[in-house]
Amino acid sequence: MTSAALNSAPVAAASGAGQTIFRRNLRQFASNRLAMASVGIVVLFVLLAIFAPFIAPHDPNETDLFRRLQPPAWQTGGEWAYLLGCDALGRDILSRIIYGSRISIFIGAAVIFVATTVGIAAGLAAGYFRGWVDVAISRLVDILLSFPYLIFAIGLMAMMGPGLVNIILALAYKEWVIPCRVVRGETLATRELEYVEAARALGASSGHIMVKEILPNILSPVIVVSTIRIAHVIILEASLSFLGLGVQPPTASWGSMVADGRAHILGAWWVSTFPGLAILVLVLAINVASQGLRDAFDPRFQE
Amino acid sequence: MVRLGRVLFATAAALGVSLSAVQASELRVGFTLDAMTLDPANHRNRETETIIRNMYDGLVTRDGDMKVVPEIAESYELVSPTVYDFRIRDGITFHDGSPLTAEDVRFTLERLTAEGAMGDGQTSPRKSLLGPVESIEVRDGNTVRITLSEPWPILPAMLPFQEIVSKAFVEKVGTEGLATQVNGAGPFKLVDWRKGDAIIMERFEGYYGGAPSIEPVGKACVERAIFKIIPESASRVAALLSGDVDIINELPPFSVEQVKNNPGTDVMTVNGTRSFFVAMNMEGELFSNPKVRQAAAHAIDKDLIIDRILGGNAARIEGILSPDAFAASTDLPVYEYDPEKARALLAEAGYPDGVEVTMDTVGAYKDIAEAVASLLTKGGFNTRVAVGEGAQMTQKWRTKGGPKSGDMYFTSWGNGSLDPFDIFTPTHRTNDRGNSAGYSNPEVDRLLDEAAVELDTEKRAALYRKAEQIVNAELPYLYLWVPQDIYGVSKRLKGWRPSADSRINLHDACVD
Amino acid sequence: MSLGKLAERLLHLVPVLLGVSVIVFLMMALTPGDPVDIMIGDQNVTPEQEQAMREDLGLDLPVHRQFFVFLGNAVQGDFGTSFYHRRPVLDVIVERLPATIELSLVALIIALVTAIPLGVLAAIRRNSILDKMATVGSLLGVSLPGFWFGILLLMLFAVHLQLLPVSGRIGFDSEIEPITHFLLIDTLLRGRPDAFWDAFKHILLPAITLGLPMTAILMRVTRTSMLEVMRQDYIVFAEAKGLKRGRILFRHALKNALIPTVSVAAIETGSLLGGNMIVETVFGWPGLGRLVVESVFLRNYPLVQAAVLFYAVTYVLLNFIADILYTTLNPRVKL
Repeated sequence: MTSAALNSAPVAAASGAGQTIFRRNLRQFASNRLAMASVGIVVLFVLLAIFAPFIAPHDPNETDLFRRLQPPAWQTGGEWAYLLGCDALGRDILSRIIYGSRISIFIGAAVIFVATTVGIAAGLAAGYFRGWVDVAISRLVDILLSFPYLIFAIGLMAMMGPGLVNIILALAYKEWVIPCRVVRGETLATRELEYVEAARALGASSGHIMVKEILPNILSPVIVVSTIRIAHVIILEASLSFLGLGVQPPTASWGSMVADGRAHILGAWWVSTFPGLAILVLVLAINVASQGLRDAFDPRFQE
Repeated sequence: MVRLGRVLFATAAALGVSLSAVQASELRVGFTLDAMTLDPANHRNRETETIIRNMYDGLVTRDGDMKVVPEIAESYELVSPTVYDFRIRDGITFHDGSPLTAEDVRFTLERLTAEGAMGDGQTSPRKSLLGPVESIEVRDGNTVRITLSEPWPILPAMLPFQEIVSKAFVEKVGTEGLATQVNGAGPFKLVDWRKGDAIIMERFEGYYGGAPSIEPVGKACVERAIFKIIPESASRVAALLSGDVDIINELPPFSVEQVKNNPGTDVMTVNGTRSFFVAMNMEGELFSNPKVRQAAAHAIDKDLIIDRILGGNAARIEGILSPDAFAASTDLPVYEYDPEKARALLAEAGYPDGVEVTMDTVGAYKDIAEAVASLLTKGGFNTRVAVGEGAQMTQKWRTKGGPKSGDMYFTSWGNGSLDPFDIFTPTHRTNDRGNSAGYSNPEVDRLLDEAAVELDTEKRAALYRKAEQIVNAELPYLYLWVPQDIYGVSKRLKGWRPSADSRINLHDACVD
Repeated sequence: MSLGKLAERLLHLVPVLLGVSVIVFLMMALTPGDPVDIMIGDQNVTPEQEQAMREDLGLDLPVHRQFFVFLGNAVQGDFGTSFYHRRPVLDVIVERLPATIELSLVALIIALVTAIPLGVLAAIRRNSILDKMATVGSLLGVSLPGFWFGILLLMLFAVHLQLLPVSGRIGFDSEIEPITHFLLIDTLLRGRPDAFWDAFKHILLPAITLGLPMTAILMRVTRTSMLEVMRQDYIVFAEAKGLKRGRILFRHALKNALIPTVSVAAIETGSLLGGNMIVETVFGWPGLGRLVVESVFLRNYPLVQAAVLFYAVTYVLLNFIADILYTTLNPRVKL
């Protein structure tokens, strides 16, 4: 009881100050019109993903060989019911893009969630305990960093076989080192600060200090980095799908749609072009939004 | 060439450089894969062989009708069921000018078949392509005798796959040197191998002319021949359309129209040798039921897929053999497309509400497997396609007798020799390498084993026909089709036609 | 930097390379699929010969033995024989390297010559239209999926406009004896400007596709650090003293602002090399990246192992170079 009461004072002070800064940053972010528009686009994609069955005009996996490579509506041979045309199996491209947003967004979010969780834990441990824990974690980070990302993921996919969970793991296996490095650096800096020293002097446990004292104060840069990395991961997933190591057919994934259309590109440009465009728009929106976040939240990038 | 020459000339003129004299006649092939090695004895790869075969000749080759005819051999005869004699033609020289002798032939075959003959204790990976070859000896100067440990009637059919090397050259450069250097007796010499990019060859002026029964006999027509490696099919087609190459292999069926409509290019096809089929796991409960297998057969509209996806460029099959293969049957019963009947048969088998199945395949077949799956789905088999890598699928399905998991496997088996021994035995004999259905019928095993050593052609064909009747009735596989090999060619190309064994023989090809 | 520090950094390579080897080896060992099966495909083989082939490739040993055999040989510079090419993997890799390095370097050069001027201009004309466009452009650059953008470029410039070749490194009318195996250099050394032009047309699209994300990143870095430098006291002071603005910017500000750009460029070159495989696949570029992807699918273990080690060494060395550049260019930082 006593120790808890004693502890709460500096915590409250720190987090209270944190909150005002957070609010100010948030206001700054909200005033960035371009960033807000991008957030809107991202939200739109998320809604598409969630409500895909209600929005998509057709079943994304319904094949019709008589509609094979049907052009988009505005070209001769197209129909308005199949706005963006059909792929080599006569499936509606628009519907597949709408459903494909589920894969991109889910994998992007899941990989970043797993990677950030692991990265925070490892980074906190390395930065707080230092010594051999730090050496071990840092060595592992060095080793993983020296692997080319895509080869590592290709190798893991070959090892584990295709599947949604496996893609998430294949990407997360390396992705966690990025938040880990950020967290470790921040932790090293933060652990020497007065209020942490104070908590330690008051006998708080290591776990308590890491989670309650240090973590809240280093969360901003982690969030900024994570949003930027989501964009990256979405492109990586599409690249894996493009190389034929992605989700299983007939599940629509933007990367595999581009790959499928590649062979047909001379005669049917629409099969590859539209899903690629979808990747570009979503990733661009995430990048613009995260740039806004960074400008607002990370003081080092404020000009 | 013309276009490129013009562009180059314009470029050169723009840069103020004089362009060197007249261009030599040059033929370019846009090809899917690079050679792995140039050593004819050190690979198991068809693309590698296609390239190598233009620089090396074999004892025998195949003519336009796929008949085995003498090439480096002048003639050959079957002395006894286990002994063949090959007389070697006089006056053949290797690229370096040295004469090709019976000793070179013996050395080549020895290198292919003897344990450890490649040096460093290595054995040629092509050894098993020569089956029961036991010994090779030179008799009276220009005859090579091949002795077999048991009768093996398909030896002549397998020999076109082996190319003759120079003993002196191999001894000089070693197996390591032979991987990148060529001293063959074929119509073209190696000029440069730009790894991963191109193989550049020039005409061998001292060529003996090739097989006398295949016109024209003589030196190659073009002065230079190039295999340009373009793995992407769209890029390959684009290279053909822009006049950058004169022949491309594996023209996708959906690009046929475009190539035909382009003024300077055309399409050539030849019946292929690769049979496509779906293995049904007969070790599993579902497909151990013959009614279920029949139901699946009735659910597939082969004609629709051949027409819509393969552009009509395939022949349907009711058994494993291609219509062109030795002993192919023409009177096999047909399982007509009838989804109603498929569902009825499924219901009879105890699945009135249909079944859920997974069909495995590899990335290259994904499109067409999905089309098959959608037809199966309409026939009561709710089919999900699972794409894996070739390596994973082979391990999962070609278990050689080991336990199998999975429902269906969409796959194919090549049959370059067009002899049933190469395709029927591995896919249908109990526990054999390619038996992905887990099929086992002692009667079929017996027929296949007998046919393998039967020397009488008629009797041998009868054995295979009987076996095919049985498997057509028992249906371990859904036999689908044999696609044609489709080539895109430029109209300035003359004298070349595609070959059913997927070889691209440039000896007779000319360009205007 | 002292010699001791240098040795320490190089020593640092050892555990990294060892760790990389262990991971690659484990990955390969746990990956389903048998190289011999893939090699034979659907051709004839007897079980005895299959076994013999397996022994030839050293695959009959237990995994840990295979690892130590590999390690023992690798220390002596022998990375084994490629299962498919039947030659030392090192030879096979070295043949493909020039194409990959040349592509990466051209991509790097394209990135540097576009990113630095744009970044500097964006910083000088902060908040101008140009700055805004550069910012949007750089965001677009990192957001473009390379495999898709490459296909579009190919369709437009090679197929429809027929301005550039579809694939390969150089045309067949532009043959030259290799000297360095970098075609852009060799063609010039041989005095063949026409061939140089030809090689340049071949490399242009793949290099742009590969270099685009890097251009975007470098532009951001240049802009940010330029802004930072311009706020520094000595620049403000110089300006106050009435020195010419252009002189200040180029004499003082740019020199310092480029330090981070150059270090980031060095580090990013590693990811250029690693990102090659997609671009090489799309453009049929005969480089290492495509070879490695093919080798993973074919289970060509020795080649994958050696290639990954190569990437790892390159990565570590490039980081090392980045550090050196940073310290030598910026005397205030000590390693």
